[in-house]
Amino acid sequence: MPAIQPDATALLDAAIDYLERELLPDLAGYHRFQCRVTVNVLAQVRRELALAPAQADAERTRLVALLGHPGERDALSRELAARIRAGEIALDDPALLDHLRRSLVEALRNNNPKWLPDPADEPGR
Amino acid sequence: MTEHEVRPALQAAIRRHLGAPGEIRDLIRLTGGATKRTWSFDAVVGDAALPLILQQTPADRLTAASELGGPRVHGAQDAALLDAAARAGVPAPRVRFALDPEDRLGEGTVTDRVAGETLGKKINTDARFAAVRPGLAARCGAILAAVHRIDPAGLPFLATQTAADQLAIYRGIADACDPPMPAVELGLRWVAEHLPAAPRTTVVHGDFRNGNLIVGDDGVRCVLDWELAHLGDPMLDLGWICVKTWRFGGEPPVGGFGHRDDLFRAYERAGGAAVDPAHVRFWEAFGCIKWALMCMHKGAGPLEAGARRSVEAVAIGRRIEEPLLDFLELITGKAS
Repeated sequence: MPAIQPDATALLDAAIDYLERELLPDLAGYHRFQCRVTVNVLAQVRRELALAPAQADAERTRLVALLGHPGERDALSRELAARIRAGEIALDDPALLDHLRRSLVEALRNNNPKWLPDPADEPGR
Repeated sequence: MTEHEVRPALQAAIRRHLGAPGEIRDLIRLTGGATKRTWSFDAVVGDAALPLILQQTPADRLTAASELGGPRVHGAQDAALLDAAARAGVPAPRVRFALDPEDRLGEGTVTDRVAGETLGKKINTDARFAAVRPGLAARCGAILAAVHRIDPAGLPFLATQTAADQLAIYRGIADACDPPMPAVELGLRWVAEHLPAAPRTTVVHGDFRNGNLIVGDDGVRCVLDWELAHLGDPMLDLGWICVKTWRFGGEPPVGGFGHRDDLFRAYERAGGAAVDPAHVRFWEAFGCIKWALMCMHKGAGPLEAGARRSVEAVAIGRRIEEPLLDFLELITGKAS
């Protein structure tokens, strides 16, 4: 893609800016709520574009360590879910809990950073 | 259904059930409710303008509504349940009539509109509720004692759902979504391994939480959204209102406005049975998993042919990690 084009983040910035600053103040009731939700969804996409690649790598590395063999992230995650369901890992296994917590925290950095209970988990710290 | 479709059908329904002329004024679709729709309006009957609420699940959405969380109470059943609740002393909406097929509005009810606030965040932060906020948790405890006293004799449609039954329902929702999520699997296994003995079976509201209460400057005026009501473990209701999602950013555990001790003591004083906090904590933890699976269902559950997910549905689908992290904090002793 030629660098002269606005990239995906620039498109989202412009769309969010229009919805939030120009359209939203003119709306009420049902459509105001829907517009606010739409802005939030687009902001999630914007954060995901920036954060997802590194998160996927980190998750795969943790899964390899936890399961003890290499593989693709999605297949390893599926295997972990199946092993938890089958009762093959203790529910209080510290390595398991640590992995799940990190995965949830990373997803929340995309989806809703305000939910993170520990300020140290917030992005940019 | 759009406003232009609802208005003439609603006017005909009002005329038929309540009287002429049935003119509809100030019809507004309220926010919330992806399958069930809520409309606020005034209806002219005789010389009076009645402030009313229409809750309807359009006929084409009935399947979608019934697949989540087990059987749902609707229409004429809802009307019978709300009447029974009012008789037990629960502040419940007064039902004017239940929709019937001739109304062509789907399933639902028309109830009196109660003035007040339902938005959890406003209830927790607005200055106008500062005086009532400290008493809300105790009021909820007393109301729940009344909910659990509702006589189920006239309510044969209420299904019995033990904790194990509920687990099976939510296991089914997880199995209908792919890929499986490790944190959800951990949660479902934890619930299966911690199922409590339930000494009592009562009417359970099933969705008693901040956001389903109408609050005014005199306190709780009305308990809404009874569609998940069933016969089951009454401690479910005390745990559900403590789930962090329903605190709307507020610090205190009960709805973000109050403390567990106030809820429990008021429940006991109002004639509810003695409360075991660990038993309630189980339902709070299970509540996190249930909400996670509701989010999963909204965002990734099966869709009927031709149906599309609304922006609200996909946004809820992205909220799944919130209750899962809350669950981990709860079972590892880090939560408030």
